[in-house]
Amino acid sequence: MIELPTPAYQSVSGGARQYRLASHPEIRVVATDLGLACCAVEFAAALTRGLLLPVADADPVPTLHLLVVSGTLTHALRPSIEAAWERLPEPRAAMAFGACTASGGPYWDSYSVAQGIDETIPVQVYVPGCPPRPEALIAAILSIAEGAADVIRS
Amino acid sequence: MIEDIAIESRGTIKLSAPDCTSCMLCVRECPVWCIEIDSHTEQVTPEGARRPRSVAVLDAFTIDWGLCMYCGICVEVCPFDALAWAPSPRGGVGEAEQLVAGIEDLSG
Repeated sequence: MIELPTPAYQSVSGGARQYRLASHPEIRVVATDLGLACCAVEFAAALTRGLLLPVADADPVPTLHLLVVSGTLTHALRPSIEAAWERLPEPRAAMAFGACTASGGPYWDSYSVAQGIDETIPVQVYVPGCPPRPEALIAAILSIAEGAADVIRS
Repeated sequence: MIEDIAIESRGTIKLSAPDCTSCMLCVRECPVWCIEIDSHTEQVTPEGARRPRSVAVLDAFTIDWGLCMYCGICVEVCPFDALAWAPSPRGGVGEAEQLVAGIEDLSG
């Protein structure tokens, strides 16, 4: 099984792959980037535009850990994202970012591609697009935050 | 609601249902088969016409945004400009089934 970068893995590697919203510092949702293919570029675009900021040690404890899965999920990788999901601390939620994660996208008829990540892990929000725009990522994080406002806002 | 973006920047695709003739070009050209059309024909006799005309009536038009790759081939191929780019990207939804949009949703 291929090990994917998740919080448990980051403590070893030291790489910061957890982010919070730059525009809403009061929202303590921490997004973890789990990029499998090209949609991950739009997550990176949200970073380079300053829409997302790396989580610092001084930040308050997150009230929700959000796993943002982007890109094509092959059957071979299913155990790996399942393990990444299991390692994500509670409370947690998963976002299907892009067509491949929602349905298999352009590869829906392929023998090797899973028809969406919801066959493997529970999904809180599906974001359409191939790829979706960075604005859609931010809007989806906000919608999750607003869906559980009493627990998430500090 | 997501802020509007430049129109050529993968916003969303809108449908003008009255312009759609159910010709099925978009359905057949879509590389991912994310468009479905259901229609029927009716016999219409305009006043003074010598014989009735067969007219296609659109019953259902759906785009599955969970599959769409925003290539715009449907927009390019539509002979009647019933499909067009629009600037407001679609937001996230809670269930995968909600990614399938019908005439009302696509016309908004």
